Amino acid sequence: MTGAQPNRLPTGGRVDRSRPLGFRFDGNALQGFAGDTLASALIANDVQLVGRSFKLRRPRGIVGSGAEEPNAILQIGEGATAQPNLRATQVPLRDGLVARTTRGWPGVRFDVGAINDTFGRLLGAGFYYKTFMYPRAWWKLYEHAIRRSAGFGAAPTAPDPDCYEHMNAHCDVLVAGGGPAGLMAALTAAKSGARVILADEQNEFGGGLLACTDQVDGAPAAEWVAAVVDELGDCADCTLLPRSTVFGYHDHNFLTIAERCRDHPDGSADAFSATNRPAAGDDSTAGRQHDPRNGRTAKGPDDHPDSGAAAGHHQDTVQPVKERLWRIRARQVVLAQGSFERPLVFCNNDRPGVMLASAVSTWINRYAVLPGRRAVVFTNNDSAYRAALDLTEAGAEVAAVVDSRRGGAGELGRKALDLGIPVLQGHVVSDVAGRQRVSGASIARWAGDGWATVKPTMRIDCDLVVMSGGYSPAVHLHSQAGGQLDWDESQLGFLPAKSVQANVSAGAGNGKSSLAECLADGVRAGAETVSKLGLEPSPIEAPAAGNIDENPIEALWRVPAVRDADRCPKQFIDFQNDTSVADIKLAVREGYRNVEHVKRYTALGFGTDQGKLGNINGMAVLADILGKSIPEVGTTTFRPAYTPVSFGVGAGESVGELYEPVRKTAIHEWHEAAGAPMEVVGQWHRPWYFPRDGEDMHAAVARECLAVRNSVGIMDASTLGKIDAAGPDVVEFLERIYTHDVGLMKVGRCAYGIMLGEDGMLMDDGVMARRGEHRFYLTTTTGGAANVLDWLEKWLQTEWPELQVYLTSLTEHYSTIAVAGPHSRRVLDKLGCDIALDNESFPFMRMKPATLAGIPVTLFRVSFSGELAYEINIENSLALAMWEKLMDAGREFEITPYGTETMHVLRAEKGYVIVGQDTDGSVTPVDLGMNRLLSNEKDFLGKRSLRRPDCLREDRKQLVGLLSSDARTVLPEGTQLIDEAGSLARGHRRAKRPAWRGSQLGHRSREPIPMCGHVTSSYQSACLGHPIALALVAGGQSRKGATIHAALPGRDPLPVEIVAPVFYDAGGQRQHV
Amino acid sequence: MSETIERRHGLEAFVAATESVGGARVEIDVLTGRGFLNLRLDPRKGNGLETAARALNQPLPLTANTFTTGEHRVYWCGPDEWLIETDEERATRLGSDLAKALADCHAAINDVSSGHVALGIAGEDARTVLAKGCTLDLDPREFGPGQCARTGLAKATVLLAVADDAAGYTVIVARSFADYLCRWLANAARPHGVRFPVP
Amino acid sequence: MLLIDCPWCGSRAETEFSYGGEAGIVRPADPDALSDAEWADYLFNRTNPRGAHRELWNHAQGCRRWFGVERDTVTYRIARSFTLPDAAGAADGGVERDFETGDPTDAEPGDRR
Ligand SMILES: [Zn+2]
Repeated sequence: MTGAQPNRLPTGGRVDRSRPLGFRFDGNALQGFAGDTLASALIANDVQLVGRSFKLRRPRGIVGSGAEEPNAILQIGEGATAQPNLRATQVPLRDGLVARTTRGWPGVRFDVGAINDTFGRLLGAGFYYKTFMYPRAWWKLYEHAIRRSAGFGAAPTAPDPDCYEHMNAHCDVLVAGGGPAGLMAALTAAKSGARVILADEQNEFGGGLLACTDQVDGAPAAEWVAAVVDELGDCADCTLLPRSTVFGYHDHNFLTIAERCRDHPDGSADAFSATNRPAAGDDSTAGRQHDPRNGRTAKGPDDHPDSGAAAGHHQDTVQPVKERLWRIRARQVVLAQGSFERPLVFCNNDRPGVMLASAVSTWINRYAVLPGRRAVVFTNNDSAYRAALDLTEAGAEVAAVVDSRRGGAGELGRKALDLGIPVLQGHVVSDVAGRQRVSGASIARWAGDGWATVKPTMRIDCDLVVMSGGYSPAVHLHSQAGGQLDWDESQLGFLPAKSVQANVSAGAGNGKSSLAECLADGVRAGAETVSKLGLEPSPIEAPAAGNIDENPIEALWRVPAVRDADRCPKQFIDFQNDTSVADIKLAVREGYRNVEHVKRYTALGFGTDQGKLGNINGMAVLADILGKSIPEVGTTTFRPAYTPVSFGVGAGESVGELYEPVRKTAIHEWHEAAGAPMEVVGQWHRPWYFPRDGEDMHAAVARECLAVRNSVGIMDASTLGKIDAAGPDVVEFLERIYTHDVGLMKVGRCAYGIMLGEDGMLMDDGVMARRGEHRFYLTTTTGGAANVLDWLEKWLQTEWPELQVYLTSLTEHYSTIAVAGPHSRRVLDKLGCDIALDNESFPFMRMKPATLAGIPVTLFRVSFSGELAYEINIENSLALAMWEKLMDAGREFEITPYGTETMHVLRAEKGYVIVGQDTDGSVTPVDLGMNRLLSNEKDFLGKRSLRRPDCLREDRKQLVGLLSSDARTVLPEGTQLIDEAGSLARGHRRAKRPAWRGSQLGHRSREPIPMCGHVTSSYQSACLGHPIALALVAGGQSRKGATIHAALPGRDPLPVEIVAPVFYDAGGQRQHV
Repeated sequence: MSETIERRHGLEAFVAATESVGGARVEIDVLTGRGFLNLRLDPRKGNGLETAARALNQPLPLTANTFTTGEHRVYWCGPDEWLIETDEERATRLGSDLAKALADCHAAINDVSSGHVALGIAGEDARTVLAKGCTLDLDPREFGPGQCARTGLAKATVLLAVADDAAGYTVIVARSFADYLCRWLANAARPHGVRFPVP
Repeated sequence: MLLIDCPWCGSRAETEFSYGGEAGIVRPADPDALSDAEWADYLFNRTNPRGAHRELWNHAQGCRRWFGVERDTVTYRIARSFTLPDAAGAADGGVERDFETGDPTDAEPGDRR
């Protein structure tokens, strides 16, 4: 044995003894080898304790060797790059790796949790629901204490500095799982000319073949794997993805794969390119340079043969990809994910040192580590005998194979006897001794009744208990895809049955148990899928592999104990969630019958387990208790993700500045240079205000408002939606869409138009202009641009295809610059305009093509501020230049750029609504006082709805203006309005107990207070010198002059007066000058 | 006077600030000097199709997801919609010529030159980089020379076309999204080495 | 993520489309002639079936056409896509897709090679 690694075997395995890797586990410096997983390295160092159980705080050790591992859930890394809750069995060891237990507070060896264990009966099934729901206020305390002591891992302490990405891919055949069946399916499909992607969650392809002693095609299994992977690599259209877990099977054959690009033994981090190059980084897994068994991405779209040089060139600046999310659309899918070995359900079966038989074989054969010196093997099937043989071969003593079957095993049983291994047939392990590590096993006779009580007949000292309860095919993806499952009584497992999507299962995941069967099933699945694609399957024969004769498995769900299930030591079904046989009994006793309910009540199959280890045992025990068959009880639904997926890979590149598109106008960089903070409107970034030195927002907005009212301001209004509507039927179409009489508009006229949904609610608004007899120019709100165009197209295409109208979006082509204020005309004149701008020649609500400063533009004499104003439409590529010219020309008038905030104040002073701010999808134009816009001469969308009884209610919320009685308070937008302040006081007197703590009104009353409306817009008006607000108030239009109250946080309700929603220039003279 | 004003696509500052690396396997080029016209026309009615083809001196593609080349590039955008890519200086004239020719048809021609930014994505890893944000199958057997598609790239809508020489792609994106898309592309291409040619 | 056949552009990912609700809801020719109940029925009531559902989709990121899809609301399986009647009242045939292979049914198997 290697000195530093007491459990390391001197020879064998797929580790590179010449490449030692140092790592830390709970602060201790340990050593493993390249090719190890963290779990195998821990076993090599004789680490038994890897955590504490979630609920009962029992000491736990490593049970499995793959995705099913329930206990070795560790915190990997530190600080910003920390990753919580990784399974040690799936973490490739790398130099400098830092791991610690997550369930160990205050320390994995300190048995504080024994108290939970002792009083474990109090923490039975449903303990969350029962114990902690009342009193409710205490729940936070309970939860905090439980989570802290259970330990869920710690979140990283800083933003993740690593780089993640997404990748879309298409293929004919996606093969999930690179064991014997998956390899043969992929080979068959690839040789038949299909585009193939083969994904496997491990560092190396081969699956179980890497851990077995069998021969394939006359060669050791691992050598055969290497040859096949090589052959696949030579196929033109085959992409190999090692370290890649197919974790989700979604609709229409869309699958998601998480690739861990940086899981390399030396910690080397690979860029995409490097991941795919057949060079050192990839192939060093087991120290075999250019050994393709470690899997490289083969030729195909992602092949970068000479990427090494390029990657090296900018190593300092390029951040390599840590994980990649593959989003794959596959025409056919082969599911070859193998199977999970089941534990056996006996007393104290969770003690460290109780392991799955397949895991023991894997430790010995693949990783050359010996997990124990003296073992008891407990089984109800033949496969565990392999572990007994492997243990003996590796120099351990197998004290006994305890086989529940009276007939024992077939060929493997004879081999065991030949090696002198004692076999106890018709016996079970009823209990194990030892707390932090097993020290012995109690053996009892098995009479066939799991619920009987038994007396142990002997006790065997041992430091390892190997168990096998048979195999459950990994049907997760098949089930996620909607496929059905059938119970197979001879194999005692759910097998994939009818598929709903285009997928087939193969190999152990399809219920095949022998290697020869798995290889042949892979060929069959590969041929079947390519036939469905219309390809001729390549004539490939499954390689020869030994077929050994086995005796059938025998059902053994609950192993009998010295007392009945409620009083005997715990018999665990789900280690991770501490679900025991007693918990399931309790759930049934308390009335739960449905498997989905029992699952939720007992937490069976929750967490990272997702039904991998405990599911079948749990269902079988439940069925037993209910007196039903297992298929009658059925299985729970499998959902993505098959194994946990990091947040980072889910987000991909969509973080930071790429989280959401930032849409910029053509003048954006000017705004930025001017120091304007941006307001996000939809995806647009619009200048909010333009602060001068030292100004806060309030001061800047006041200055901007006064500039527009008294001189001239300039605003970038480019984000408004713009649509060209053209065609012989355009008037008829727009008559149906807009509420006003579109046909009455003369060419060159503008109109304010609104459109309603069919429910009569205001949907969008904007100025429209008639450019020609059959051509209109429509504008929409910034946020509504895309929706309105889709909506208009929907009516044209689905309802009125007879109307000849074409709609073209011009939003992206034009900038719109608003020049507003009494001096706006002089600014344009100064710049040089080829049309007369005086009020007679170019009056309010007209549009004209013009040339401004020699540049062709379209001028609109419209105003959103109530002032004399022009909107200049100019193509984007010249917009910045035009803006700068306007700034130059306006200098003598102190032309003032203003942002969205000032625009809001100015329009609120005029009572103009903003769709989506003053309206919310439940407001009709009548509510807004827009009756004059509703034509009586025609039908339009939503018109009929305005006569619905609900729309005619007199107490509908209607738009009004509000003035604060103190002429000082700017009401917060959203403030609730109440009729009488007295209702608060009355409620206060009636209230017996103080409640609603923390809520705005809580200290006064717990009685609901009827509210009559809410504030939608509210600003300090610089030109009026007092605050103004718009609000929706029940029956408001007939309550002008009335006083109501605004409910304000932390102070008495403020009286406010209802006024008309126009605060400035009510006659509208200023825009007509 | 407008001739003296330099037209801007809005990406000048971004490109200037981006560092290129040697040995780059992706090249992102902002293609300047392009003009764009949007054409709506029912190809089944009247002789609009022939009239437009005459005015353009090249046919309008009628097969979905294809484009024609010649004096201009004419991309199929929908069963009654095309995007015409031409020289910047010619766009206005071509637009009015088309409008005149199609005066008797139900058609809509709009100059949308300022509404689009064209990017050239080339280099040996161009396809891989695009695949990071595009759900189309970009395999050359599925998407080859002469083909184009309006589709999504990252969180933007683009018109994606295979370059004439099949050595790269043209990405035409709405102007307000161009800055975002360039940043996304630069980020996606970074592990491959990326170069922004300076015009 | 669904794979939806645009009758014009072919199979595209669901993310390119927007959903338009149940297909075949016809706007009453004379809304004024309808009672409140009849109008409310047009406005609010939908069949919401368990099983085959004809619905509208818009290829928003593609050709901007609205078209119909027959989708099973239980399995999400799409039986077919179809174009909507145009001015002449005729609808094109639409595209039938074989769910097993994902190919249009009128295509030769493997014909893209
Ligand atoms: Zn389409």
